[in-house]
Amino acid sequence: MSRLGQRGRKAREEVDIDLVPIMNMFLVLIPFLLMSACFFHLKIINTSVPVLSEATDDGPKKNNIKVTVIVEITKGSIELSAMSDSIENGKLDKFSTRIIKGMEEENTLNQLALSLEVIKKAYPASDTLIIIPNESVIYDTIIQTMDVARYFKGFPLFPNVVLSGKVG
Amino acid sequence: MAFGKRKHSRQFILPKLQITSMMDMFTIILIFLLFSFSTKPQTFTFDKDVKLPESTAKTDYNENIKLVLSQTCLRLEGDVVATLKNGKVTGLDPDKPKESSLYKKLKAYREEAEALESIAKRKENILFLCDKHHSFKTINNIVKTAAMAGYPNFEFAVLKK
Repeated sequence: MSRLGQRGRKAREEVDIDLVPIMNMFLVLIPFLLMSACFFHLKIINTSVPVLSEATDDGPKKNNIKVTVIVEITKGSIELSAMSDSIENGKLDKFSTRIIKGMEEENTLNQLALSLEVIKKAYPASDTLIIIPNESVIYDTIIQTMDVARYFKGFPLFPNVVLSGKVG
Repeated sequence: MAFGKRKHSRQFILPKLQITSMMDMFTIILIFLLFSFSTKPQTFTFDKDVKLPESTAKTDYNENIKLVLSQTCLRLEGDVVATLKNGKVTGLDPDKPKESSLYKKLKAYREEAEALESIAKRKENILFLCDKHHSFKTINNIVKTAAMAGYPNFEFAVLKK
């Protein structure tokens, strides 16, 4: 018993890890990581502004009909409509909706996303959305609207977002 | 004598540095830095009062012309091109956008870019860093002027949610 106890004590005394090489490695790694550290993750949303260009008419393709969705943001509501060169205006009227802004912005945006999803399902080739905000609408609201218009629950809706002022 | 004895029996013991706690601290720092590691770190010079909006966007920014709109001024590649007073841009008349400093400078950039032989080196878009509290009225004049100068495509900078 006494021998065993002695051996155990000896073994406990011998365990002494040399941490100096690990410390040296850390001292090299930390300055390197500090140099390549990024303390805020900057991402971007690609947007364009409408400009005058020459029209290119390829003619409508049967299964490839595209509609352009227009989202008009006002102080109290979001108005949604769709337009297309290859579809009669009357047919797209069913997609026109007006979402009244509620207490929570998230609910309003969810409603907008669901309406956009319906249009996307009807015309899957569509990818362009025009946002027309009112002059008083703040930039943050525009970005949040862009977010739900581009992707909803991980699925792409209208990735090409155009920002435009109201004409007239 | 007793004092002498004690003096002689004293031995110099090499002090052992306790680096375990230091190791713990370094490990935490290392993990934090590993999480904030970026393959292309870049320093941005913009005013402290610029609060970017948060977004779910995942696209990384590219090397483009930087246009920063803070609460007090509008900077193009670090140079002040207009100032802001109560949300109104002074030095950018919406009726005469071609006379603004922003238009002239962007036009010069456009001409410079077109003179470049390599398309890859051209800065085709504008990286727009804008404070989230600005109204569309303020932004609209700026983006319209930039589009007129030959830059209709923007990259709106946002912070990852």
